[in-house]
Amino acid sequence: MLRLATIATLACFVSIPAALAADSVGGKNEKPLELTGKVVDLLCELTKRCTPDCGGGKRQLGILQTDGKLVPVVKNADLFGGAQADLAPLCGKTVTLDGLLFENAKMPIYMVQGIKADPGTKEFTPAEAFIKGWTVRNGAQDEWFRADPLVKEQIAKNGVLGKPGLQPKPQ
Amino acid sequence: MVGLFKIAVSAALLTGVVLPVLSVPASAQAKRVQIRGELVDTFCNVSEIMFASGTAHYQCAVWCAVGGIPVSVRAEDGEIYMILRIEEDDTSAANPRLVRIQAHEATVDGELIRRDGVNYILVTTVADDKGVVKLTHDEHGIVPFAQ
Repeated sequence: MLRLATIATLACFVSIPAALAADSVGGKNEKPLELTGKVVDLLCELTKRCTPDCGGGKRQLGILQTDGKLVPVVKNADLFGGAQADLAPLCGKTVTLDGLLFENAKMPIYMVQGIKADPGTKEFTPAEAFIKGWTVRNGAQDEWFRADPLVKEQIAKNGVLGKPGLQPKPQ
Repeated sequence: MVGLFKIAVSAALLTGVVLPVLSVPASAQAKRVQIRGELVDTFCNVSEIMFASGTAHYQCAVWCAVGGIPVSVRAEDGEIYMILRIEEDDTSAANPRLVRIQAHEATVDGELIRRDGVNYILVTTVADDKGVVKLTHDEHGIVPFAQ
């Protein structure tokens, strides 16, 4: 049972290849969904505090559907990656995303796995721009999330448990 | 009146209940609130793909915040509030200020905007930061990937 749970957890973070349909990550209330709408900066959409480029990758983004419904896109297909690098370059454009909608009653969120920016295109482009951008900035690493300078700073300061001096029990 | 307000604030701090605050919001739909809770990774918490609280999930919560996944406040009543602004900073993706308080238990003041089932919060102040409080690693290990 534990092994199955571990496999399921690892599967959640595996990069997804060019998708025909969204792959499950084993989440609760997840639903494969093609989502079409305009790429918007959530802060701009809600408060009119806008920038011309949807924050240039530094703000949270979403999809504004034609019926006016706003869906936050919180994750891409990279390990621990957000969706800004994939979506910010498409700010203001109408796109179709392939991914998973998590219909949690507390907050619906969307994970993008593929992007179709041109309606004439048949294939979705994998939503993996976070890793590509990170690699340009930091160099190639097997696990970006352990090599990132800000992560390393935090773990060096606080430990893996977040409390200085507190250590996990030996395995 | 002032005494009653102080009692209400104290009760909210103790219970994590959202409290409207007397102030003028920046948006017509916004209302001032004060929330006590844990700063959490939005994706892991909402998708429920793993245990995602306290020391067991600290490392993953930092990875996700640095990766640009939104940081939220999970109030003690279980409600989740996605942070779109922190103090005077309009950026919220991979924001170092948010990374450094990720997984902490704190009280945030801010403007709440609710739309299409999502609670968005523009945080104006972070107070009473207790750091990482919940010691969950003995029960859950370090999730995911151990060390």
